[in-house]
Amino acid sequence: MNVEQSAALLDLSSTFLMVAFILYNLSFIVFGISVLGKRWSNRDADSHMRRWGGIGLWIAILGLISHASFTGLRWAASGHIPVSNLYEFLTFFGMMVTLAFIVIYAIYRKPLIGLFAMPLSVVIVAYGAVFPSAVTPLIPQLQSIWLYIHVTLAALGEAFLAVGFAAGFMYLLRTVNFKDRSASGKRQIRGVEYTLIALITLIAFIVLVFSFNGAGYRAEFVQTLIEEDELGQKVEVEQTVTYIIPPIVKPHNSVQVEMQPFLGMKEPLFEAPAWMKGVNAGRKLNTIIWSLAVGLILYGLIRLIIRRPLGAVVSPIMNGIDEQDLDEISYRAIAIGYPIFTLGALIFASIWAHQAWGRFWAWDPKETWALITWLFYTAYLHLRLSRGWQGTKSAWMSVIGFLIIMFTLIGVNLVIAGLHSYAGV
Amino acid sequence: MLTNTKCECGHQNPVGTVLCEACGLPVQQEVAESDGLLEMRYEGAARRSQKSNPKLLDRIWNFFSSVKVAVYLIIITLLLSILGTLLPQVNVVPSYDPASYYAEEYGKLGELYYSLGLADTFGSWWYKGLVLMIAASLIICSLDRIIPLYKALKKQQPVKHETFLKRQKVLYIGEVADAESWLKEAEEAIRERRYQVTREGTSLLGEKNRFSRWGPYINHVGLIILLAALLTRGLPGWYMEQGFSVNEGQTVSIPGTNYYLKNLKFTEVKEVGPHVSGQELQFAFETDAILYRCVADCNNPFAEPQLEEVLQHKIRPNEPLKYDGYSIYQIDYAFSPQATIMTLNVLRDGQPIGELVLNLTDPAPAYQLGDVSVELTGYYPELTSVDGVPATKSRLPNNPAFILDMTLADGTTEQYFVVPFQQYQTRISGAEDSEPLTFEIGGMEASFYSSYLMVKVERALPYVLAGALIFLFGVVIGLYWQHRRIWVRIDGSRLIVAAHTNKNWYGLRDELAKILDKTGIEIDAKSLDNSGVGKS
Repeated sequence: MNVEQSAALLDLSSTFLMVAFILYNLSFIVFGISVLGKRWSNRDADSHMRRWGGIGLWIAILGLISHASFTGLRWAASGHIPVSNLYEFLTFFGMMVTLAFIVIYAIYRKPLIGLFAMPLSVVIVAYGAVFPSAVTPLIPQLQSIWLYIHVTLAALGEAFLAVGFAAGFMYLLRTVNFKDRSASGKRQIRGVEYTLIALITLIAFIVLVFSFNGAGYRAEFVQTLIEEDELGQKVEVEQTVTYIIPPIVKPHNSVQVEMQPFLGMKEPLFEAPAWMKGVNAGRKLNTIIWSLAVGLILYGLIRLIIRRPLGAVVSPIMNGIDEQDLDEISYRAIAIGYPIFTLGALIFASIWAHQAWGRFWAWDPKETWALITWLFYTAYLHLRLSRGWQGTKSAWMSVIGFLIIMFTLIGVNLVIAGLHSYAGV
Repeated sequence: MLTNTKCECGHQNPVGTVLCEACGLPVQQEVAESDGLLEMRYEGAARRSQKSNPKLLDRIWNFFSSVKVAVYLIIITLLLSILGTLLPQVNVVPSYDPASYYAEEYGKLGELYYSLGLADTFGSWWYKGLVLMIAASLIICSLDRIIPLYKALKKQQPVKHETFLKRQKVLYIGEVADAESWLKEAEEAIRERRYQVTREGTSLLGEKNRFSRWGPYINHVGLIILLAALLTRGLPGWYMEQGFSVNEGQTVSIPGTNYYLKNLKFTEVKEVGPHVSGQELQFAFETDAILYRCVADCNNPFAEPQLEEVLQHKIRPNEPLKYDGYSIYQIDYAFSPQATIMTLNVLRDGQPIGELVLNLTDPAPAYQLGDVSVELTGYYPELTSVDGVPATKSRLPNNPAFILDMTLADGTTEQYFVVPFQQYQTRISGAEDSEPLTFEIGGMEASFYSSYLMVKVERALPYVLAGALIFLFGVVIGLYWQHRRIWVRIDGSRLIVAAHTNKNWYGLRDELAKILDKTGIEIDAKSLDNSGVGKS
């Protein structure tokens, strides 16, 4: 295959991803109709739910097929399975979440899970699309069949754990009493609000990147870094940093080259502090400030309109749902995800590391975080199975577990450098 | 203090028993006096950790046998692991003086991080201690439970006390007209769902998937094997890791072994033409290597080692050379061009008298060119002069110079100083009247790459993997199968059906409703839930 043919395949694959993304959204809407529309007049609630739930499932399956085509075509074009940078990995992870949801749906036939699992995969795929989509060749160490098995299984395991989170969070929305004024009641309400704020911030971030990118926004700085060369001498290295979001914070020790004015702002307001050492720390800090600000403003606006905690408005969707079912589904998803995760993220990862680097365990940050995830879910299973932590406590654990997973997948790459680090926004 | 552990059914239970081993009636006073659901964990059997009047050893045993303690250990390990990822650990820090490195790079915080020992979290005694405590917890928790559980399940009896049945989480109480025919139908229906059924009088016990109860213990055994395998790294010969580098054309002794390795050629394997990314695709970098076994004079500075070829292999990332328990990995490489062999044409009056082949890394001391014998009495790989006396700057042959003592056919001797790269030569001693010999570079061989390899012995790996797979097997049978039991008791026309599972109550209720349905009792699965008992 020559370069032109590969490039054409890549273009085609992006179309399939777009189609999959649209279908996931559609499936989400249909599941919404299935759950919310059961209260509409002139229909039997159960048959309405079953019919629309079935349609939602089929749309999700079509989306999954389209998504798999994206993966296959990109694989053919690049010569390796597309899981090697954050764009590829996150879109793949989104696909696995859909797959995990379909499996769980096949067991429990509850359309309600779709109402929460499908938006999860929509957000994950959209988040992946924020990162540069360019194909990068694999370094020789990564060219191994074990890499394929390790990454795909780890992603699948984490996807089941993510569905466990979706069901656990639904359980909380269903059971948390938003009128409870006691200390523990308020704590629960706050917890639900924080989780919702985190989701809104993530969505705000995605929308932000896409809008400014679509508008073609750019700013450029030249940053002077002090690095040590091989002999331990300090040398100055100049590096161009490009922003696609208006810079509130500029890189440490940098000079502005070009900046399109934004709302009258012609130069950045702050400079990133020196102690932030990571690759492109200034730009990441800027992105974090933007998403937090936009997320909080968005949340504030919503609160202004509804004048109640957001959770209190969302939770009536759950009325009439058996919370024990949700608890059971959350646990089952985690019980399926746990061994797959262990196999993919720890065992096969060690086998591959042994082959590629000669060390099956090296305490690389990503590796350690996989162990942290595993320890967390091990604690979850012990607490649930032998100390009777069911319901609310175990639902909260599924939420924290998902946070740990997302940090392992993304936070480690963006914040802590190591063997697994990729470039980021 | 003596407690009466004899049950009203006449069975003598060991101290610490909660539920009678024979009929299931609560023997422990608090349990007997309450009316809530029975705690069925470990069948209410006595565990070593519940011994009264504990001694020191018992206290240690009790501490480690607690699941609560195990969860605390897991959570503490988790939190410390998080701390260990905040800053790079000492093993990846590019500095020989980590204390000042952390202070310089990360300021006060780095200094604190280093002084707290967090810079070497995973090698620290407290982290290892935690892992050992987890291992102790795994062993003791398992032993404390599996033995009584095994015994209790082995000697269980179908006839259970009414109280025991009524305080189960899944319960049905009803009436049957004809006990015998109903029991027959029920036995059939229970068997159909792959239960093993034992009957005694008008009581039935159906049981299935007891093996799933062993799941947790099997997975703990797997983890113990895994941790024990990691400990073997301390045994001599079980673990070794050494880096070494070898230039093209060079043969080196592999550190820590009796083997030598020759780097025939180092290559970067690349795809022709650009990849769709616009970059050239690097497939691999490889060292075409020959492995030798040293049979004599190994590591003897005064003699050449005697080598015997073992095998030839292209060492690449993901394709290590494996032999005799050793694995040699391709880690990295450097482009460092270097002359290795220099051929000098020696001429007299413009007529060649022979070729002098000089190995620049380790030249031989003597040569024979026809009737001229040559002795190398001085070699300066990178010539420089110190106070007018020739010396070498390094061992790298960047500008080699030689002092050659020539013994000619007629027995006369001459000494030459030759610097081939500078086309400089001078006759230091010898007959003044004759024409001096001339030395010209006739050919050069060079090595371009230095290959960085790592030799590794990791004999624990198969055991680590075996432990991990046993762990997974235990997890799977423990999580995906459930140990279910159904008890039936008929007194006259009154029927009591109770059921117990170690998890997935929803499934059990569903199954029991289907079984009852087959015997003509129609009931909604949800109504079998007895969870409300004693709560109000």
